Amino acid sequence: MKLYEYEGKKIFSIVGIPIPKGQVVYSPVNVPGKVVVKAQLLEGGRGKRGLVRVTEDSFSTISDMMKEGISTFLIEEFVSHDREIYISAMMDRESGNPMIIISPNGGINIEESKDVRTFVIPLDRTLMRYDVDAMEKYVGYRGLTPIVQGLLKLLLEYDAELAEINPLAITERGALALDSKVILDDNALFRHEELLNELRREKPASDSYVELDGDIGIIGNGAGLTMATMDLVKLMGGNPADFFDVGGGADMQKVAFAIERVGTNPRVKKIVINIFGGITRCDEVAKGILDGHSKVNKPIYVRLTGTKEDEGKEILTKAGIKVYEDALSAIGDALR
Amino acid sequence: MNSNTRVLVQGITGKEGSFHASMMMRYGTKIVAGVTPGKGGSDVLGIPVYDTVKEATKEHEIDASIIFVPAKFASEAVYEAVDSGIGLVVVITEHIPVVDVAKFVRYAKSRGTRIVGPNCPGLIVPGESLLGILPSKYFKKGNVGIVSRSGTLTYEVAHLLNETGQSTVIGIGGDPIIGTSLQEVVQEFEEDQQTDAIVIIGEIGGTMEEKVAQLKKEGKLTKPIVAYIAGLTAPKEKRMGHAGAVVYMGMGTFESKVEMFRKADIPVAKTPYEIRDVLTKILRK
Repeated sequence: MKLYEYEGKKIFSIVGIPIPKGQVVYSPVNVPGKVVVKAQLLEGGRGKRGLVRVTEDSFSTISDMMKEGISTFLIEEFVSHDREIYISAMMDRESGNPMIIISPNGGINIEESKDVRTFVIPLDRTLMRYDVDAMEKYVGYRGLTPIVQGLLKLLLEYDAELAEINPLAITERGALALDSKVILDDNALFRHEELLNELRREKPASDSYVELDGDIGIIGNGAGLTMATMDLVKLMGGNPADFFDVGGGADMQKVAFAIERVGTNPRVKKIVINIFGGITRCDEVAKGILDGHSKVNKPIYVRLTGTKEDEGKEILTKAGIKVYEDALSAIGDALR
Repeated sequence: MNSNTRVLVQGITGKEGSFHASMMMRYGTKIVAGVTPGKGGSDVLGIPVYDTVKEATKEHEIDASIIFVPAKFASEAVYEAVDSGIGLVVVITEHIPVVDVAKFVRYAKSRGTRIVGPNCPGLIVPGESLLGILPSKYFKKGNVGIVSRSGTLTYEVAHLLNETGQSTVIGIGGDPIIGTSLQEVVQEFEEDQQTDAIVIIGEIGGTMEEKVAQLKKEGKLTKPIVAYIAGLTAPKEKRMGHAGAVVYMGMGTFESKVEMFRKADIPVAKTPYEIRDVLTKILRK
């Protein structure tokens, strides 16, 4: 679950990471002096879109941004600083340990940057002075201990899968987190009910749907097969509109829901369904397809194979829906 | 693993546990006992059920355990199996918090237990034994080893490779941190006499595929390998179904994986269907 900047900063202050003074507002307000107004969105690239502004007139800046349909704002004190550092924490997939990723140059396009180093801190022990020492030497700034400690706490106690500060500003008052990007592990949300309550956030429903910007709706079972189907559409000259994995053992309702969700996207012109039944039963899927398709009047191309495949095919054929033997021909027809 | 491997099923009285236990038995897997706390003394499919793993291991010789316990209790089930000295633990359960996985994987390693998974379909040695949820009818005895980060895609590819058949097929799981890595399995295939060629089904996220390419570059892998990577069209920082199929900080992109395989002279199939053609071409050489 991705958190808003202000939510991330709330946890930052709980774990001891210093943040600028600020307040969250939902309508235009006047704050005297030079402030930073930041639209609270879950997407990145706010800077480029002009949704982070330094101003002495917070009221009209907010009014302005509200015209773009934004409803939540963070107003922060303007912090002057000489340098910016990049620092984040996530689990190292390789070693299964927490790792700190750090760069002496923050604010930049960090993924393309060459001067980034990772420091792994073994799970079996706590953070040591010499860990931080190595990081501080690398970036040329002393005083990272509370930041690193806080980030590790976010990882291990709050189950963050990514906790990022970019930039970390170096000011006269010390290091300050000017931005926050925190993504919590959905699988661990059950042990953070209290935090969710405090943030007034619900557990996200499902992570098996990802919207893309094409026009061919994609539904599959299993993450790998669904991704492969998307990729095939692209390779064959089409543009996928989404990724929707109905998961293992999907029943009629789930399949029908998937078709409705994908089909009601106005950009979607055609829907490709790729099912290889193992635990999933093709007859259940076929019933779901009929149900979903009756609510979404868009052409549908179904590849259906595996457990109970004959029953499934019969159900669809009887209803006048063509069933394909392999994904290539289904996609081929959809792109015609 | 072979037809003599003696298997314990943890969570055997659950819906998934009992269904797949019966499928495995039908395939010939030697299931000797089951565990479900509070259900000790009963039996499922003629298999005795115990309250704890300790009690089961007291009564039976056990080589491997397969876990169908719900996510909230799955970690505990893994520790229990490790503490009872079981050598191989296959964790089918999905949605276990990643920090918990990191901890039990580490614990198991330090005590000499091999973990496969979590969030995996398990493994099959066609004609011998099934330790997982793979639909066995799509697999045939043969000489190609398949290792995969995804479930259904594996069934698809195995089905496509019906002619050559498979020595062993193993789904290592779709989570960010897993007990057995791609490179470990590939190295085992390299040493396995039943395996003549290796198929890798990878996806975006992480660097396991790159590690395999590195091994090949270093000359540590000699058997023919064909790779496929899912996620060409996946956008950055979006999780594609699997908890592990996500790219953060530019680590483990589709491009980086394909590039590394190319540099290591490992052919990459563009589609799952192409795997068969590429493999046939190399095997003919």
